[in-house]
Amino acid sequence: MTAVLNINGISKSYGKVQALNNLVLQINQGEIFGILGPNGSGKTTTLGIILSVLNADSGSFSWNGKEPSKYDRKKIGALLETPNFYPYLTARQNLSIVCKIKEVNESEVDRVLSIVDLINRANSKFKTFSLGMKQRLAIASTLLGNPDILVLDEPTNGLDPQGIAEIRAIILDLASEGKTIIMASHILDEVEKVCTHVAVLKLGNLLTTGPIQSVLNNQEQIFVVSDNLDILKLTLSQIDGVSNITQLGEKVSVMLAEGKDSAYLNKSLFDKGIIASEIGIQKSDLEANFLEIIK
Amino acid sequence: MLDLLKIEYKKIIPYTTFWVIFGLFFVFTPIVFYGVGQFKIEGFPIDFSTMYNFPNVWNNITYIASWFNLLIGMLFVILTCNEFNFKTFRQHIIDGHSKTDFIIAKILLMTSFAIFSTLYLFIIGALFGFISGGSEGFASDNKYLFIYFIQSLGYMSVGLIIAILIRSSAMSIITFICSILAESIIRALIPDAIDQYFPMKIISNLTPFPTPDGMIAEQMKNSMIQETMSLNTTLIIAVVYIFIFWGISYFILTKKDAK
Ligand SMILES: Nc1ncnc2c1ncn2[C@@H]1O[C@H](COP(=O)(O)OP(=O)(O)OP(=O)(O)O)[C@@H](O)[C@H]1O
Ligand SMILES: [Mg+2]
Repeated sequence: MTAVLNINGISKSYGKVQALNNLVLQINQGEIFGILGPNGSGKTTTLGIILSVLNADSGSFSWNGKEPSKYDRKKIGALLETPNFYPYLTARQNLSIVCKIKEVNESEVDRVLSIVDLINRANSKFKTFSLGMKQRLAIASTLLGNPDILVLDEPTNGLDPQGIAEIRAIILDLASEGKTIIMASHILDEVEKVCTHVAVLKLGNLLTTGPIQSVLNNQEQIFVVSDNLDILKLTLSQIDGVSNITQLGEKVSVMLAEGKDSAYLNKSLFDKGIIASEIGIQKSDLEANFLEIIK
Repeated sequence: MLDLLKIEYKKIIPYTTFWVIFGLFFVFTPIVFYGVGQFKIEGFPIDFSTMYNFPNVWNNITYIASWFNLLIGMLFVILTCNEFNFKTFRQHIIDGHSKTDFIIAKILLMTSFAIFSTLYLFIIGALFGFISGGSEGFASDNKYLFIYFIQSLGYMSVGLIIAILIRSSAMSIITFICSILAESIIRALIPDAIDQYFPMKIISNLTPFPTPDGMIAEQMKNSMIQETMSLNTTLIIAVVYIFIFWGISYFILTKKDAK
């Protein structure tokens, strides 16, 4: 695997606010890399630095192992924070300026406008667009020239549910072509649905990074219901391979060791004289894990 | 390089303010120039009757147009501030321009503005000159056109720094106008020997009050000339200032984050 982006100990502060503290990250080709963190954790600052919009106080980064230059950026599709266009120009005029900057063929404009479903509004002025349409145009702009790397800061910001689903589909589609996608978000669900890897930031510090399953502890959880929850909990604690017994309302949830499944659990309970009225599987509570990490 | 200029024009050709301000310049320069020539007061020390004749016309039209030069300076301030307000400066960096590209593009843009307005004055001046008299003297004294070109660059270079420092259009325009006023106030407190080197003074002195032979009564002319340095010196200092302004703009831009 080759590193597309290497971030070596970047720090950045705004006056007294330390926005990033010695960030080290490596992003490899083909990864959909999510940068996750609460508001103000330094996601946009990180992306701003790797796009050369912000100057880091210390540390360095490299794209494909080379010193960063404007020629790399021409081959990266990037959206940082807000869609930035000339309000008095039409969608088409705005994108044609981006084509000139990126040195790609103007025929790209219609292609990307079709992808985001804005081709019918190509000749409307940017200022007449709704929030979601502006966001779509910004996404379209990142697709100009079909770049191998995409950097997206909260790409689904302001989109309707259909728009969100469409953008996710576009992202997954691009990823299937082997493109590298770096995406910042504070929406856990979004990261979980599309990303292969994740880094979690809080107050400018990297808390953890790695493949998404290992970071967010994305294992299955079993929940059990029976008439007496106290006896149920006691009994569960005596069964081999059961851990993390927690009561959630009218249910008890447990984690099973490798190789044990719900049938095993049911049989063990039955052997100990307990009839489970319900046994089910659920994914572990991502949100709870995330909140645990950033606590 | 040429691509940078093409991008600039892609941005401004559909922009109404651009047409309005250049329209004002194109329409009012000849109207005002014509109007001033109709000025007749008994005993007034200035004789307007030869004002359209070659070569006087070159000094006269550039002097009148220099007031409109401020207007073009303001347009330039607005266009530069727009890049910060719309965050397109930031987006251009993200898309693959450098900060140097930004400054070069703006310098090319202001140069093209200065060329357009100077060419226009050449045409208007030539028309007035040919209509009012013979072609004699057509080729002399047209250094004033070149000087006007430098003045135009001068105002826009001041505008560039102000826009990059302040970034909001309204505040920048106010500062642009005030910098002219403020300098006159500061100048009042400082001896002439020093204040004649102040940038705005230098730039505005490029199009001096016209004093071609025979147009102004001798005694008035003498009283005006003694305080000004020679036009060539002014020109050289102005060019040096322009390069300094470009350098400072570049320096400020590269030091700051592209917000
Ligand atoms: N221009 C600025 N001036 C001062 N402080 C800033 C500036 N930009 C960001 N910050 C501070 O830096 C920290 C990180 O901000 P950043 O925008 O990177 O967060 P984020 O993770 O993108 O947040 P969000 O989810 O809200 O977009 C915050 O504390 C913020 O207040
Ligand atoms: Mg952000």
